[in-house]
Amino acid sequence: MFMSLLLNFYRVMTRIRTFERAAYELYTGGKLPGFLHLSIGQEAVSVGACLALRADDTMASTHRGHGDTIAKGVSVESAMAELFGRVTGTCHAKGGSMHIADFSQGILGANGIIAAGVPITVGAALSAKYRKTDQVALAFFGDGATGTGVLHEGMNMAMLWQLPMIFVRQNNRYAESTPMVEHTGIVDVVQWACGYGMPGVRVDGNDVLAVYDTVSKAVERARMGGGPSFIDCETYRWYGHNIGDPGTWRPKEEIDAWRAKDPIARLKIKILEDGIAGEADLDEIEAEEQARMDAAVIAAEAAPKPELHEALEGLYVDEQLGQMAIRGVRS
Amino acid sequence: MSALPQTQNTTPTTGKEITYRDAIRDAMSEEMARDPNVFLIGEDLRDPWGGAYKTTVNVSNVYGNDRVINTPIAEESIVGAALGAALTGLRPIAELQYLDFVMRAMDAVVNQVAKVRYMSGGQVQVPLVIRAQGGGGRSSAAQHGNSLEAWLCHVPGLFIAHPSTPYDAKGLLKTAIRLNDPVFFIEHKMLYMTKGFVPDGDYTIPFGVADIKRRGTDVTIVANSRMVLYALEAAEILAADGISAEVIDPRTLVPLDENTILESVHKTNRLVVVNEAVERCGWAAEVAAMVQKRAFSDLDAPIERVCARNVPLPFQPELETFVLPSVADIVQAAKTSLYLA
Repeated sequence: MFMSLLLNFYRVMTRIRTFERAAYELYTGGKLPGFLHLSIGQEAVSVGACLALRADDTMASTHRGHGDTIAKGVSVESAMAELFGRVTGTCHAKGGSMHIADFSQGILGANGIIAAGVPITVGAALSAKYRKTDQVALAFFGDGATGTGVLHEGMNMAMLWQLPMIFVRQNNRYAESTPMVEHTGIVDVVQWACGYGMPGVRVDGNDVLAVYDTVSKAVERARMGGGPSFIDCETYRWYGHNIGDPGTWRPKEEIDAWRAKDPIARLKIKILEDGIAGEADLDEIEAEEQARMDAAVIAAEAAPKPELHEALEGLYVDEQLGQMAIRGVRS
Repeated sequence: MSALPQTQNTTPTTGKEITYRDAIRDAMSEEMARDPNVFLIGEDLRDPWGGAYKTTVNVSNVYGNDRVINTPIAEESIVGAALGAALTGLRPIAELQYLDFVMRAMDAVVNQVAKVRYMSGGQVQVPLVIRAQGGGGRSSAAQHGNSLEAWLCHVPGLFIAHPSTPYDAKGLLKTAIRLNDPVFFIEHKMLYMTKGFVPDGDYTIPFGVADIKRRGTDVTIVANSRMVLYALEAAEILAADGISAEVIDPRTLVPLDENTILESVHKTNRLVVVNEAVERCGWAAEVAAMVQKRAFSDLDAPIERVCARNVPLPFQPELETFVLPSVADIVQAAKTSLYLA
């Protein structure tokens, strides 16, 4: 059980990195439109947290959401097609990188607005309680969300209503370009969780097992009716804020130090040292994921673009009223 | 013009006479009885308080606090949480105590609620009603009397209801609750104590169907919310001067029943649009643009707008009355369109 869990971590983390490396190459090669925010370096947080959830648990992510959404179950095939703007994309080419959502997998959406997923997740947790299920809801947000009002509103509400919710801060050190010391008055935001009366813990966000164990405990507590938790994951994004920002304005020693803490390499060492699998097994996983990704890219690029009329469709459920609203003419 | 809509549901003159406030409450309460997934979320909703404008009195007494959720004062999270609930199988009715407070919730309303279905490629439905009351008339000053309907009409993905009578309020709110799309339902603080007849038992009013509140032949007056009552008063005054005004209440601003307006203008050749919001870039401009485009040759006079002056609402009662549209303004505008002023 434990062995297969670790290998699964390795597989999904590799899948995410393979996806984002492919996206990087395609974007810089001029093949992808829009914005692209890479989470390379943060895979342990996405995977450790999402693999602690059940399929019917819900999760909301951020603008840097490839890793979170893939970890929660979106297929790389549909996500890559979405990046290409193809009809086979997760959101039928309406959303793009910042809005990948797969509700069949409990993904309430990546989100282009900082911390906007927090109140939505509060609502999903409230809904689980209302419907008397034992589902939990998990909100990812970054250190850039630390100073937003809705994060604090959400922590208060979740505690007030004892919601089955987990707040997971992906502290990758920079809000776009601004370090924590320039936007937050205290260093240890876990104190805030204590201030709201909920359990809070800091974890090494580049240690997938530590993230998984910590989130699993929070999930278990939430499922049992024990209320919300706050988990602060320390990690780092290897690249800049988005593609177009090389990220070289950060100190080189800092980047090198964090690259040395590569969460995938660390897991690999753990797996090899514990004798869970051999080098060849891990190479095989990497080769399988790379082959899957290569095929996904080819399929995505070959898939059709949406027809122009589709821009005017899919806004409202009620088609007749919706067309009246969109076109201004009674249909 | 062809395929004219059947305007229907003219306000009943028999049945049970209730207030606009009770119409809102009854619609919610009856829908909560129909569907256990319908619940209320907002500030100060529970009994014995029952809402800032008492639209939820005796709802938590009947359905319990689990279905009437009092919240912190945190509008963005109220709407965002309601959205999260709507995305996971429930049918929330979120109340913002004042329409003015939607400004605190604008990201949730505009970027999240209105767009999530479209952005996700149609994966989800959003059966969510956001209620708020707006408008001036009680010296509520600049931050509690805004009419922000045009802001909301500007957002693709929302339907906007703006009823003027108890009958319309109840029937439209029931429709809003049953729709699987997000509806922003705008009430008016000065209408809550107005009375009107509603039928016994269940009824709904479809969106996108205007109601002709008064038939006439000389000039068309299109108005919404409280301004419908003003327009009807103006029509009485105009009638005394031998002018026959037709008063149209679109009831929903999105979608808008354009054809009922166009058919009336085809008959009267004159249009006055009355809207309580400030004039600049307002809802009246949108109606005027639509009519000049689609019925230019029907018009015998420039379209008149009667709206609030382009200043914040002042506190002092005489100043407030001066800034807001008045019955006299409507009478004047109608006469101007008839070249009688």
